[in-house]
Amino acid sequence: MTASPHALMLRYGLLSVLAFIVVCPLAWLALASLRPQAEIFQPISEFGWNTFIPSVLTLDNYRTLWEGDFPLAVKNSTIVALTTVVFGVTVNALAGFAFAAFDFRGKNLLFLLVIASFMMPFEAIVLPLYVMIRAFGWTNSYQALIVPEIANGMVIFLFRQFFASIPRDFYEAARVDGASWLYIFVRIAAPLSWPTVATSSLMLFLAQWDSFFWPIVAASAPDYAVIQVAIARNINFEQNDWGGLFASTNLAILLGTIPFLLMQRFYVRSLISSGIK
Amino acid sequence: MISSRWTPYLFLAPALAGLLVFKLVPIAVAVGGSLTGMSLMGDLRFAGLENFEYLFTDPEFWSSLKITLLFNLIINPLQLAVAFALALLVFQPMPGLWFFRTLLVLPMAVSTGISAVLFGLFLDGNLGPLNGFLEWIGIGAQPFHRSQEQALATLIGIATWKGAGYWMLFLLAGLYSIPASVHEAARIDGASAWQRFRYVTLPMMRKPMAFVLVADTAINFLFFAPVYILTSGGPSGATSVLMFQAYRAAFTFSDIGRSLAISTILLAILVVIVVLEFRLLRAPEEERS
Repeated sequence: MTASPHALMLRYGLLSVLAFIVVCPLAWLALASLRPQAEIFQPISEFGWNTFIPSVLTLDNYRTLWEGDFPLAVKNSTIVALTTVVFGVTVNALAGFAFAAFDFRGKNLLFLLVIASFMMPFEAIVLPLYVMIRAFGWTNSYQALIVPEIANGMVIFLFRQFFASIPRDFYEAARVDGASWLYIFVRIAAPLSWPTVATSSLMLFLAQWDSFFWPIVAASAPDYAVIQVAIARNINFEQNDWGGLFASTNLAILLGTIPFLLMQRFYVRSLISSGIK
Repeated sequence: MISSRWTPYLFLAPALAGLLVFKLVPIAVAVGGSLTGMSLMGDLRFAGLENFEYLFTDPEFWSSLKITLLFNLIINPLQLAVAFALALLVFQPMPGLWFFRTLLVLPMAVSTGISAVLFGLFLDGNLGPLNGFLEWIGIGAQPFHRSQEQALATLIGIATWKGAGYWMLFLLAGLYSIPASVHEAARIDGASAWQRFRYVTLPMMRKPMAFVLVADTAINFLFFAPVYILTSGGPSGATSVLMFQAYRAAFTFSDIGRSLAISTILLAILVVIVVLEFRLLRAPEEERS
């Protein structure tokens, strides 16, 4: 697109406004996490610079986190999320490819089941799921947190949409040359799907990073506390530790954004390799 | 070599096994549970369609269904449109683009529950900085989630704040998979920027848009944590979506059968709506199947 200077300025303008709206609550949170406990909240009658800019900067809230069990929660969440990503991308990409590349008996019904798998309120299935996990002897283990989250209907659907956008002839041509379907998947289809691999990795990662209810149910032992459980501990019936809440939330957001920063370049790469039609 | 007839099933096996055990079997159990009730003695008994009959004669259920549909009728097209606009804004290369992209996606790392707590403080009537700002510029403090008129809109705003950047990513990946040569050809043919968007970009974005719309619809029909944390369905039932009714039936009134019946209805509504959404975004050449 031949960008005129005006169009470019308009883009910067719009993006700045939108980014400001999005970041505002988070910036307030980040700055509040640097305040001493006593002055976290400012009455609205005293609105001014002080609403956002702390008069005293302190890392006390973070120091308390560092000395507590927050580092363990970060470690647990990282292990759980990364393992889910590795297995989840592989398994769901294979299934998405099957739905896109083949015609087979029962395909529509199976696809409907895949879609329906993410349409039931989790509150409704948590009890049978917990009974099953307990029967497996998995309560308070990494398996309980990881294994049920690997197969993911939404991710299968995402891969199916991508692989279906590649013409069938493309696969058939390789078939004629004598390639096996596994070879076609690994060497032809999967390498084309980098942007989808990146986005689905992010989906699986964030699903685990943000999960709270299932970890509380299935792995409530302190050794397996994940990041959202550690955050929620700051809010309880006796006293709310807002400083701890803000600091831990802020860290969870910043750490949870790292995977996005790592995958940004895949978007560029797909642009360069756009020779495939 | 494996016979082609079995190949698709082998590709599907690991994922479908996982879905079957950890999703579909529990769903079947839950749907079965919607047909049960408690006897006066506290025993589980088969109740047939009783739970559904009670629901269908309960005005609270119908008003909750109406709110759920209204919420979704607004939020799903809104989020798709905002996410698409954002994706177009951050698609073409320009200096500093990564910075804007990163800022826009930051909220996706905030869990839904935490986003509700955060906005509960941010929009607070006495301590919230936003109301401080509104007072300062003379608009005056707003009640937001505490008023019947603004509660649903506030929840839609919070969900869109969190979701827009996330859905933007899927549409951005879609934009990148449109070959540059297609745009090139359209330009050489003299198509204007609007025509290129309308007749080249939009049709080629059908699949990513179908994904975003379907996935977003599922998530928004099951939207719950902010309702629970911020409004508890109120004020005066203004935000009492079906998910909240299901929660209340189970945890306040200990009527698991009724709760599971509401969940089953949600599942059924979602399947119907999603099939309609698929039809809506199907390419013309696929219409025969």
